[in-house]
Amino acid sequence: MDNSEEKGLHRSAQDIVNHLSVILRTAQIHDPGNIAVTTAIDKFLPLINHFVDARQDIALDLVGEFFYIDETRIRYSLEYLLSFDFLVREFKKREIGKVVFKERVGPADIQIFIKAFIASGFSDTPFDVMSDKITDSENIDVDRLKKVAEGGEIDARKVVKKSYFNAVSYTRGVMTKIKSGEKVNIKKAKRIVESMVDHLLEEEKLLVGMTAMKDYDEYTYHHSVNVSILSIALGQRMGLSKKMLTELGLVALFHDIGKIEVPAEILNKAANFSDDEWKLIKKHPVWGVKAILRLRGLDHTSIRAAIVSFEHHLNYDLSGYPIVRKYRELDFYSRIVSLADQYDAMTSSRVYSRIPLAPDKALSIMMERAETQLDPLLFKFFINMVGVFPIGTLVMLDSKELGLVYESDVVFADRPRVLIIIDRSGQRVNGPVVNLAEKDEAGKYLRSVVKTLDPNKYKINLAEYLL
Amino acid sequence: MELTEETKEAKDILQNIIKSKKTIRMYPRNNPIYVKTLEDSYSKFRSFFDYRDNLSLKIKQNSIYYDAEQIYYNPDKEDNLALFFFKDGLREITFKSGLLPDELEEFLKIISLDFDRDAIDDDIVTLLWEKDFQNIHYIVDEAFLIDADEEDYQAKTEEKAKERVTDVDDLMKAYTDGFMGSDVKTISVVPLTDNDLHTLVKELEKDSVDKTGKLFSIIFEMICQNEGRSDLDEALLFLKDAIRYAMKHGEIRGILDVMKRSRGVIDDPLSTDEEKKLMKALPYFLGDEEIVGYLADVLDSGIEIDGKVFEEFTKCLEKNSIPPLVKYLGELATIRARKYVIEALTVIGRKDVPTLAKGLDDQRWYVVRNIIYILRKIADKRGVEYLLRIARHSDIRVRKEVIKTLGELGGREVVQTLRECLDDADMQVRVTAAKAFASIGSEAAKKIMLEKISGKDFKDKNFEEKREFFEVISRWKDSEVIDFLMKILKARSFFSRAKLYEKKACAAFSLGLIGNKDALPALDKFRESGNKLMRDFTCAAIKKIEYGQ
Repeated sequence: MDNSEEKGLHRSAQDIVNHLSVILRTAQIHDPGNIAVTTAIDKFLPLINHFVDARQDIALDLVGEFFYIDETRIRYSLEYLLSFDFLVREFKKREIGKVVFKERVGPADIQIFIKAFIASGFSDTPFDVMSDKITDSENIDVDRLKKVAEGGEIDARKVVKKSYFNAVSYTRGVMTKIKSGEKVNIKKAKRIVESMVDHLLEEEKLLVGMTAMKDYDEYTYHHSVNVSILSIALGQRMGLSKKMLTELGLVALFHDIGKIEVPAEILNKAANFSDDEWKLIKKHPVWGVKAILRLRGLDHTSIRAAIVSFEHHLNYDLSGYPIVRKYRELDFYSRIVSLADQYDAMTSSRVYSRIPLAPDKALSIMMERAETQLDPLLFKFFINMVGVFPIGTLVMLDSKELGLVYESDVVFADRPRVLIIIDRSGQRVNGPVVNLAEKDEAGKYLRSVVKTLDPNKYKINLAEYLL
Repeated sequence: MELTEETKEAKDILQNIIKSKKTIRMYPRNNPIYVKTLEDSYSKFRSFFDYRDNLSLKIKQNSIYYDAEQIYYNPDKEDNLALFFFKDGLREITFKSGLLPDELEEFLKIISLDFDRDAIDDDIVTLLWEKDFQNIHYIVDEAFLIDADEEDYQAKTEEKAKERVTDVDDLMKAYTDGFMGSDVKTISVVPLTDNDLHTLVKELEKDSVDKTGKLFSIIFEMICQNEGRSDLDEALLFLKDAIRYAMKHGEIRGILDVMKRSRGVIDDPLSTDEEKKLMKALPYFLGDEEIVGYLADVLDSGIEIDGKVFEEFTKCLEKNSIPPLVKYLGELATIRARKYVIEALTVIGRKDVPTLAKGLDDQRWYVVRNIIYILRKIADKRGVEYLLRIARHSDIRVRKEVIKTLGELGGREVVQTLRECLDDADMQVRVTAAKAFASIGSEAAKKIMLEKISGKDFKDKNFEEKREFFEVISRWKDSEVIDFLMKILKARSFFSRAKLYEKKACAAFSLGLIGNKDALPALDKFRESGNKLMRDFTCAAIKKIEYGQ
């Protein structure tokens, strides 16, 4: 197979997911015999049969949040985002983990698939209905969604944790070196960020989960890494390329570099800042520009880093600081980093206000700021990313269990995975992790959030549970 | 121990990679050796994959293993492929059977880079990562990213973070509060719409424009917010760096914007003297040889340049840019680039003609000729003094250019030099000198031309030259010239009649150009001349006078 053929197949794989999504979305509105549906089927058939002809049978797998064909993950660009999200959501709802096209499929096979798909959507046992009804087609088969193996998850968590702490340690080293005038190895920074990008592409929730770790003396270093992770995660949601994600992660990592100039006694001060101290603090964006421009020669990345450093405390409406005279608008990366920065700062205990907010409360405040201080469009993506109950949120469940949000769910934003810390008998426990998207046999959710609480108010050490 | 057939094949592939690494670096992509090396390398992989799904190489500091067998060893630091991979943390590379020729080529290109010599900002892992190969996988050890004294950072931090155990009473308080009514702050997750995606695509398109302009804005904001001399000095350094970067990338418009903003600072009554001084220094920085050098590269590179922007940019230059511009004028490879530099020198040269005129001393004839051309376009009489000095330049092309220019600039001081040029050894130069007199158009110029034509030696000149001289005198159209021409027309001789007819034909030609009808009777006599040249020129002249053709 030559290169162009390979690229062509990759595009076709994207198209398969896209067109399948179009068929199912259209069929939810129209009758399966409607021309809109049949036209969509006509477009889908040559695509899938092209694959079937080449390989005899073809399986579309859903693993985590991604589709795979022949064990190759189907990457997609921004234009396919909604289609992919729709299909992931609908497959998960029905617990479909795999669709196998065994022979050349015809319109009748797809019509059967559509009917099975729609019928299963109304059932309390969707996969069973789907599986039963699809037997009418000899050419299509479905498999149940597999849960990610617990052991594999623990390993992945370990790797992600290692990567996170590598990043924090590197950031600490860089800041110390810059402060003492030593040379900084930017190649290492790239490697650190590339590793984070890889983790975010494969296991977004695990690395984003690490950003809930804030309760440290070394706030600035953790904060820099957290902002980098949240920025990359947001960039990924917006379909940025791997190269752009790395650049974004890199500039986000250095966004607070100007703080090395702020005296430590001010940064670590327990009480509120005086006016003079605030004046100093407000200089760190400009100091950051200076530090970056002094660090190495100008190139595209260093210019973007300088811009983000300068703009990350400027608001969408150009209020904030530093006060600017002739300025047009904020850079795209700055608007991303600004969101990540505000969120992480508000939910941390060592920021200027000294009052950490519960993650959901921070989001509420940010929502009020959208349009004026924050870019409303990017905030929409941000909310979709962190979910209604971000990691670290303390939640009371209707099952009379108290828990901490452990992982957000990409598809069901209001149904995260929760680590139980007090069980229904009122006993302190450490686990299990429950999935709020899980339903009982009657199709009702096993657990739902009834109340959110502020973990800081109860001095809950998140690290104790989430690390 | 004897290597298995499979291991031998793997070793052969590795040897081929080492060979290819050198070839790919040495030859351009279209070279047959490059192409063949790549084909050979790929065919080795292909035959290996006939029976296997992948080729996995384990990397140690000085050795490479396939299937637990060492297939490469090199204890030296130089040319050590194992060490080359190992130092950046690569521990395993796997080529999958789906390996594509393009992927192999890209892989070989990456490993062919000289990381020690070339200024590469990325290590090999980053370069492989950026390529995102579908059929080349690798495993890296990231331990080396962390300084040795930071190795236990994770353990220490985790331990410290977990040190404070949440108080059970606090937990129970939270639990109790959890029952106090339902209070779910609902943040609505608004689903993304197609419109959102369109807006985002537009944002991304907007984001792809270069960011230097933004950096300039930031530096200007920093200048506005400066708190003293050191802030200003540093801002100037940053501004210079940014200008340097922008010029390297051909962002002339961006630099022009900087200059406009700097003008704004200078004109702003609120600006301090120091700020103004700093801004006034910028045009001189643009004229620095280094910056002009980058400009020359850009002009030669073929990057699209907006003519109007360039014209405005040149107006920002100061006279210190003249010497480097002259220098690069002689080094540029393309006509387009030279045209731009000439345009720049025409604008900036007006500010300092003597410095521009120093370019006339250049050893390269074409540079001298271009400078003369520029001086002519500038049309500043101060240039005459310098031009006169090179009127005897050894190169004919230069002499012609300088004579033409002197003619256009005019003035008494040029007459004598031009007169001498009428006797130049080269006919083209003499004709150019005659035309220069036509440009001057003064009485003195006329007299010199009439004298020259009346001279003894004139009849021996080439007919074309004669014709050119007569054309020149036709520009005066006065009675003196008409009488002069009529006299020639009527002249008789028994000797050298052919030469005489040449001169008479030229006189007829000249009368035709003047267009005076009084000449018609005299011309009419030669309408049927036995001399063909005379007959043709006369007829043409009559036609011209009668019908203005």
